Amino acid sequence: MIYAENLRKEFTKIIKDPGLKGSFKALFKPRKEIVVAADNISFHVPKGEILGFIGPNGAGKSTVIKMLTGILTPTKGQCRINGKNPQNDRKKYVRDIGVVFGQRTQLWWDLPLVETYSVLKEIYEVSDENFKERMSFLNEVLDLKEFIRSPVRTLSLGQRMRADIAASMLHSPKVLFLDEPTIGLDVVVKDNIRRAIMKINQEEQTTVILTTHDISDIELLCDRIVMIDKGKNVYDGSLTELKKNYGQMRELTFECDNECSMSAETFKSGLHLSKDDIFIENDKNVFKIRFNSDVIPVGDMLNYTLSAARVKDIAVRDADIEEIIRRLYKEGAKPNE
Amino acid sequence: MHRALKIYKILVAQNLKRVMEYKADFFTGAVSFLIDQAIGIAFIFIIFSQIPQLAGFQFEQIVFIYGFSQIPKGIDHLLTDNLWSVGYFIVKKGDFDKYLTRPINPLFHVIAETFQIDAAGELVVGISLMIYAAPHAALCVNALTVTLFVFAIPFCTLIYTSIKIACAAFAFWIKSSGYIIQMLYGMNEFSKYPTTIYSNIIKFFVTYIIPFAFTGYYPALYLMTGENPLFNIGGAVIISMVMLFVSVLIWNKGLKAYESAGS
Repeated sequence: MIYAENLRKEFTKIIKDPGLKGSFKALFKPRKEIVVAADNISFHVPKGEILGFIGPNGAGKSTVIKMLTGILTPTKGQCRINGKNPQNDRKKYVRDIGVVFGQRTQLWWDLPLVETYSVLKEIYEVSDENFKERMSFLNEVLDLKEFIRSPVRTLSLGQRMRADIAASMLHSPKVLFLDEPTIGLDVVVKDNIRRAIMKINQEEQTTVILTTHDISDIELLCDRIVMIDKGKNVYDGSLTELKKNYGQMRELTFECDNECSMSAETFKSGLHLSKDDIFIENDKNVFKIRFNSDVIPVGDMLNYTLSAARVKDIAVRDADIEEIIRRLYKEGAKPNE
Repeated sequence: MHRALKIYKILVAQNLKRVMEYKADFFTGAVSFLIDQAIGIAFIFIIFSQIPQLAGFQFEQIVFIYGFSQIPKGIDHLLTDNLWSVGYFIVKKGDFDKYLTRPINPLFHVIAETFQIDAAGELVVGISLMIYAAPHAALCVNALTVTLFVFAIPFCTLIYTSIKIACAAFAFWIKSSGYIIQMLYGMNEFSKYPTTIYSNIIKFFVTYIIPFAFTGYYPALYLMTGENPLFNIGGAVIISMVMLFVSVLIWNKGLKAYESAGS
């Protein structure tokens, strides 16, 4: 369905010294530097899969998505969707895809939402009959009715995101690209959006490529994840496998009555842990312990800590994606093919 | 082609609806434009109150040239105003992404999105001035001259459009090219007067380099004299076609260089 082969994108950056003087210097004597935003990225997504495309900020996720959607021309390598290439056959290619950038909108800002859909209907040549059917499906999944007649500029962020997803699905694309579709949304709306994505995927076998920083998005939606960092492919496989391979990191936050300080050394010797399995951050009367719960169960860690310090409050949470990446790097990447 | 027209109509309708949403903005635009035109015309009156003739042209002939020069400018303004936004901010802010993910030509899409009715001002002023000046401008009116004169108008318009396309496309490399469009576009002032009043260097410049003389003076000169259609009209046709070809080439190269913006 989707093939990305050795995608590479270079940007030329002009280095400026700070201040007005620096700007003048850059204007007349530019110092150029080539920045590699994506390097040798390859993966394959079969039909009907939801792929989580993750990595820290600035990892090159958006660059890769923009190459896959035909917005950027790769410096090297190529991508294909259904055998079509965006650079050679852009117009046919984009008919097969729907794109939502969470930070932007493709809706007509000043007009009632319904107007956007009637324009897109013509642009994508959707027949009257299909359009009706489509709108009722999208209405059902994304619940657009209550605001479809309001000008787009008056919509809340959550409404706008639902409206944007509907706009990208109007022409029944085979592939849906969602770049941070849950960014800035509250828990209830996030949940609605996730359910909608799942429903679209199940009912229409739409292949979905999703970027996000929210681990719950990935856990609830994604069959598989591709992780990139600094423009390179660092992992390709399932989330459970990732967690299994790279350890189940947990984070415990303790709050004490008085100022207290914990050292990782004490824990390492006291619990017989290696240095990659435990990290401690101290901040006045709060300290955070991140540890590998495969090596030491949460209960044991709690017991040990409680015996060592006078604790007022405790919080437990899953390590986020950044944590997994951090860890992945310490152990060295082993991308699976 | 049929589909393009249909989409064009729909996008224009959207744009008009949008304009209606912000009425105050629209009227301010219309008024400021009328003031601009009034100053231009007053300037001609002042010159002719001092000197009876300008480079061998009567007052009404100059008014006719001035009036005609507003027609291609107005048509271009009416149809392709969104190219300014490409130069000023669409590319810089990464908003060009949208055009590249839709199954229509991005250049067509971006142009079709704006229908600038402010331009009605230029067209009304231009046509009024021509009607006012025509009876006294010693025009050489016959079927051939009028046909060729009217025939030239779309090509004159394309000279404007091509310059805007090429300049806007620079934004794909340098991110913002609004001021480049403004600088070159501003030279259209030269189209309002006979080239014979300029020095040879400027005359050469506005004829062959940034050929605004073909958007006003030369076609109007043809209607006045009926002479030299090959240069006065044919020149506009050939130059506009070459310019369009080159500017679309630059545009297409630019699309490949487009870098979007971080998100």
